[in-house]
Amino acid sequence: MLKYRVNSFTGKLPTIPSDLPRPMDLRHSTKTVSVAIIVMVCSTASSVAETPLHKWIDMTVGVGSVGFENVAADDAGDAAFARRLYLDLTGTIPGAEQARQFLSDRSSDKRAKLIDRLVTSPQYARRMQYAFDTMLMERRPGKHIKSDEWQNYLRQSFAQNKPWDQLVTEMLTADGADEKTRPAARFLLDREMKTDAMTRDLGRIFLGRDLQCAQCHDHPNIEDYLQRHYHGLSAFLNRSYLFTDPKSKQASIGEKAEGAVKFTSVFTSESDETAPRLLDLPPIEDPPATKEPYTIKPDKKVRSVPAYSRRLQLAAAMTDSANVAFRRNIANRLWAMMMGRGIVEPLDMWHAANPPSHPALLDLLADALADHNYDLRYLLRELALTKTYQQSSQYKSEVKNIGNDHFAVALMKPLSPEQLAWSMMRATALTDATLKDLKAKHLATDADNAATQIQDPLWQEEALHNALKGHVDTFAGLFGVVGIQTSRFDASANQALFLRNGTALQSWITSDGGRLNSRLNILQTPELIDEFYFSMFSRPPGTEEIQFVRLFLEQHADDREAAIRQLVWAALSSAEFRFNH
Amino acid sequence: MRRNQGCNPLEHGMARRQFLTGTMAGAAGTGILGTYAQADQLKHQEKRILQVFLQGGVSQLESWDPKPGTVHGGPFQAIPTSVPGIHISELLPHIAQRMHLLSIVRSINIKINDHEQGRQFMEKGRRVGDFPYVGAVASKYLAAPNSDLPGYVHVSSRGLSDVAGGAAFLGAQHGQLKLEGIKPPGNLTAPAGINASADAGRDQLRLQFNQRFTKRRSKALTEAYDASYDQATRLMGRKAMFEGKASKQDLERYGTHDFGRYCLLARSLLENGAACVKVTHHGYDSHAENFNFHLEQLGEFDKPFCMLLDDLKTRGLLESTLVVIYSEFGRTPKVNVRYGRDHWGTAWSIALGGCGIQPGAVIGSTNDTGTEVADREVDAGHLFHTYLQAVGLDSTAEHDLPGRSIPIGDPATESIKELLA
Repeated sequence: MLKYRVNSFTGKLPTIPSDLPRPMDLRHSTKTVSVAIIVMVCSTASSVAETPLHKWIDMTVGVGSVGFENVAADDAGDAAFARRLYLDLTGTIPGAEQARQFLSDRSSDKRAKLIDRLVTSPQYARRMQYAFDTMLMERRPGKHIKSDEWQNYLRQSFAQNKPWDQLVTEMLTADGADEKTRPAARFLLDREMKTDAMTRDLGRIFLGRDLQCAQCHDHPNIEDYLQRHYHGLSAFLNRSYLFTDPKSKQASIGEKAEGAVKFTSVFTSESDETAPRLLDLPPIEDPPATKEPYTIKPDKKVRSVPAYSRRLQLAAAMTDSANVAFRRNIANRLWAMMMGRGIVEPLDMWHAANPPSHPALLDLLADALADHNYDLRYLLRELALTKTYQQSSQYKSEVKNIGNDHFAVALMKPLSPEQLAWSMMRATALTDATLKDLKAKHLATDADNAATQIQDPLWQEEALHNALKGHVDTFAGLFGVVGIQTSRFDASANQALFLRNGTALQSWITSDGGRLNSRLNILQTPELIDEFYFSMFSRPPGTEEIQFVRLFLEQHADDREAAIRQLVWAALSSAEFRFNH
Repeated sequence: MRRNQGCNPLEHGMARRQFLTGTMAGAAGTGILGTYAQADQLKHQEKRILQVFLQGGVSQLESWDPKPGTVHGGPFQAIPTSVPGIHISELLPHIAQRMHLLSIVRSINIKINDHEQGRQFMEKGRRVGDFPYVGAVASKYLAAPNSDLPGYVHVSSRGLSDVAGGAAFLGAQHGQLKLEGIKPPGNLTAPAGINASADAGRDQLRLQFNQRFTKRRSKALTEAYDASYDQATRLMGRKAMFEGKASKQDLERYGTHDFGRYCLLARSLLENGAACVKVTHHGYDSHAENFNFHLEQLGEFDKPFCMLLDDLKTRGLLESTLVVIYSEFGRTPKVNVRYGRDHWGTAWSIALGGCGIQPGAVIGSTNDTGTEVADREVDAGHLFHTYLQAVGLDSTAEHDLPGRSIPIGDPATESIKELLA
């Protein structure tokens, strides 16, 4: 049933979004027209048959780029596909055995089967927890809500495949007073209920628009970011405040029943007033005042609750189908997660002068997602099935540089700090060795179901995560950026010094029991080279590479173990390891 | 009780302890390799910034804007300086002799009384938003492409968190390298069992793996990754600079306490090509015993700073080095019941000099009792433009970034033109 109905979007594709003027340059208009033609042809040819979304995506990506077929990269091949997919959907490279098994599988639908298996694994929920935590909280430290509780909430949500609109509704309505829903309140509470911080991040993270400069005046450079957009958004929240219970010291969200949002341009001194509103959608006027404006009156000791809450209007307005920006934003973010670049890039800078590279494609994704009840797993699965996702990151030999916004070649994605940590631990077999220990320890306890439990993928994932979390945190601290996240790649000397000389990596490449090095040390050269390449790069070595490693080992025959350590270190530190390609 | 909000009580105790233990801790070595020859090369090439951050908020009344004999003036006198007509607090006797090298801005009103917000505003020249610090901007536009040192280095005894090292959208390589005092950066030494040739050997292997991988792939990312290893290698090569011993003569002049050592380290960092060096002197948040605290703190600050200023001058670096002494805010004119002064962003001062700055000037003034700005009010936005223009950067231009361009300085403010040389 993971098909997309043609009929449901035939009317939508060619329309220009009404909320955003878009320069009608030749490339875009050609594309829109061509897609319209394909849509017509397909819908007449098969009025009943369903064409899956991933096929539509592939048709839409290349349309309008002159000579797209000539420049588009070849298929990535099974090994590169598997490494890419494991990283994107489970947050780590595959183990050597997993990579080998996938390569030797002869079935024609093995890629689709792998996708289906990975999106339902416990590792998928963990990977999405990391990705959405970074997207939503931007690595700020836990303040009023413990990071653990919040992360657990996210992970459970992804394990249940909670729809995006539901997740957002929970985050924007939880007030922190109810223990059951408290973790969801972190988005607002840990922004300290500061109206400016909340307003800006709502715009950036849920609408794809950074309205910051429109706080004090209409944006000087960006014509469609207006001061009223900023203040319309802030009007949902400016009556809400951070309430700290005098006894428990626990923070939650209180709200006043009054407080208007007025704004004055620092440039033109023009003033205006606004009720809560989302971008150019109609303002949401307050209902007529009631006799008693409060359910709980303001007092130092209690959290005030108004009879009519402006804040509680936000979730419905945000997720309403009229708010096109909401679905486009999440569709763009998922696309970027898989493809390495947004259709709008930077992800939070959608405006007339920075339009989507493929507007029809973005609408296709956004509408499909909305029609599937914001099922994120559905969209990620369809993206993984596209040729666009499965193409090589190498240019065809005759092609030189081609713009990243064509999606004609797979883009390299820097591993996130978490992906890097888990991949290094897996490559050096620290993960395997640790899991073996954990299983043995658990069996040694008298737990009733220990023997069954240790076979449970969820038990394994959680046990490993708890055991190795410290390393992941170290990587996050060093390779992560606190604050606005970008898809740009950064590398600092501190990070390189850590990889070169830090104790973590050095201890992982020792020949302690069960580690990769202990295995490599006892293998004959041909088997060693094969195991080395599968462990590090998830692929078999090429002929030249076999020669190269053999020669290196021969030259360092006097201390073979040291030479193997050098090989493993160099591979872990290489660009091929650092990027998802 | 409200006035202590936002202050770490530890901070208040710390400063005094540091002051007391500073001399004892001073036995360990600091690294000074700077030679006149290096300095000679530098002075023709580049411009750079030295920031001395008096953390916690130095009192303008006990430093740059004394009001002796007035209602809020406090016990200290004002003394004449090397510039006729300019008087500063008697707590800064060494600086007074060098006033002709510096200028004072006495009319700052940032309208912020919060440590973190004030510090952010002073660093970014913007009240809100993720903008790069002065140091990160200097690193981006002033640093030599193949400098051994990262462009932006911060010497501090404690970890105040700087989001992304203050680099914001300029990228990690322009974020500050944070040094915990004179302790060398972490992981500067190759692991046990890996000598120099083994280290070079494994790095060569890494490059060989990369060579194969980069075929028919975009080079931008892999080059940035390689560059971080190159910079690591160069930093490892400078280990001696971080670990070397200070000469006896230098220690006599600068003193053996922490701040003296930081100033010596700052000198060698500047001489070795850092585009911005920030030195933090902690402990000015004097909600109680303001006067005793300032006597101790400024007593520790005054001489080593002046030795550094002298060395920059004699080595010919001062004319290409902007020097700024600043805080996150000043302190209230009104003295509280514990003989303290509280947070005060309303009317306070900084001092600056060197590259691009008119020396011996006083910009703006406060009223007779120091309770408000009387003339030429400026805020951190003006200062940010002024710093950058002083080192020859056009602060009204824009950062050119993929997909967006962002004004370098806040377009709503401008530099203090009369202060620029």
